[in-house]
Amino acid sequence: MFFDVNTAIGHWPFRKLADNDASSLRKLLESHKITMAAVANINGIFYKNTQGANLELAEELASHRDFFTGIATLNPAYAVWERDLEYCVRTLGFKGLRLLPQYHNYPIFSAEAISIATAAAQLNIPILIPQMIVDKRQKHWMDVEKFVDVNELGKLCCKVPQAKFILTEYRISAKLIDENGKPLYPNLYIEISRLRSAYMQDLAKLAKALGSDHLLFGSGAPFKEISPAILKMQCADLSEREKAQINGLNAQLLFSL
Amino acid sequence: MNKLKKYAVIDAHNHLSMDATMKLDRADAESRLQAADRLGIDKLCVSIPLTAPCPSPDEFIRANDAVVEGMRMNRRFLGFCFVNPGYQTEALREVERCIVKKKMTGIKLYHQYLICDPIMKSLMTLAAELGVPVLMHAGKCTDAETIKSQPLLSNAMHFLKAAEMFPETTLIQGHIGGGGDWEWNLRILEKRPPNVYIDTSGSVIDRGIVSKTIEALGIDHVLFATDGIFEEGVGKVIDAGLSESECRKLFRDNFQHILAMRKV
Repeated sequence: MFFDVNTAIGHWPFRKLADNDASSLRKLLESHKITMAAVANINGIFYKNTQGANLELAEELASHRDFFTGIATLNPAYAVWERDLEYCVRTLGFKGLRLLPQYHNYPIFSAEAISIATAAAQLNIPILIPQMIVDKRQKHWMDVEKFVDVNELGKLCCKVPQAKFILTEYRISAKLIDENGKPLYPNLYIEISRLRSAYMQDLAKLAKALGSDHLLFGSGAPFKEISPAILKMQCADLSEREKAQINGLNAQLLFSL
Repeated sequence: MNKLKKYAVIDAHNHLSMDATMKLDRADAESRLQAADRLGIDKLCVSIPLTAPCPSPDEFIRANDAVVEGMRMNRRFLGFCFVNPGYQTEALREVERCIVKKKMTGIKLYHQYLICDPIMKSLMTLAAELGVPVLMHAGKCTDAETIKSQPLLSNAMHFLKAAEMFPETTLIQGHIGGGGDWEWNLRILEKRPPNVYIDTSGSVIDRGIVSKTIEALGIDHVLFATDGIFEEGVGKVIDAGLSESECRKLFRDNFQHILAMRKV
């Protein structure tokens, strides 16, 4: 099983994307032997009322429920997100929540974020937080330049220990381990698409430090090519069991599949 | 991955590093070789560029000595000689030493000067006389932080100008995926200056980046490279869906063509 936790559909206003509808994206992922994927709607990054993007996503996924797991995009600084979150989970069948503090303009460690993380934990769904959407060195002049600060995210992890957080597009090195080699944030999971593997074995080292149950396969499609993430898994000095966990078993548990 | 071995792949843009004693970091070199083995890469063009605004001759000679040590450690490392063109006399002397005596393969430049700066003239002339390529760190970065930290970062427009200023010199624009607006760079290079190549390396793996690079410059002027970012380097080429003949050119033959221009 290959479960990709980091895919998206929708329109990215700063560069033309290909295969950004559910059918095309599914074909693309399947051509790389990916068997299931979590997917969010890019439009939710830009709509003020993000629920519109969630409804679009549900419509897109209607004939692909066997492959895609829907992820809601919500802004806890916007009105009535509580009702939207309930609706996304209970009516639309979404199994995760995505937060974008750098785009929706609130601090990741804030009352708003704590409230929505608490609500997500009550609904038993994980919270995906992209550290970035694209490399800021190529940013469009209207795009943001901020990354999610992992230390601030760490504070949120500690404040809402019952919630499970998935940090996607993680590249900037941050302290994730304490002086005794223990994970600082036991409820923080890391998606692997920006970690070094063959050279320096960062992916394998992180799996040893955090536990192989705390890493998740993701590609970043359709923004990014998919083979690099697959190569990272192939090149990692990990056992077959550990690779199986990262490639899909961990996601199965987190998304209650 | 092992499918790549049949091409005897040359990575046109990679690096070595120095340890705390300013000697070759052998563990790092070994890790790069292991990564290359796993991904099916045969040879690696390596340099140790210094990123300070004005590295001194003593500093760049020391960095090049570490590259020579790497070449001795394993013949799969093809050395590129880094110099600061601002020290004109010393830079020319160091290029002569590294290329002629130490058998390095090319010259590596960083962002101390734009590639079309008139100060480059004597260095570019020497490169043409020796018949070796000049690989330069490049990009069209759009974020405030990089613009501030790398004000003399060359982009495709600078390469286009340099191609006219130094028509006898083979120029390699570094890492189309090294960060920055790569589509902007490719649109400029659609003019296909005959002495400009571009390498595919860098951490940016936007879908289509390799096929669009080939579309813009033509397959004969694109070189495979990783810049030490191995899976991204190989994976984005795999996903470009190239033909067998395109793979041969990209992974090896184009660089071999450059090597064949050597005169010393």
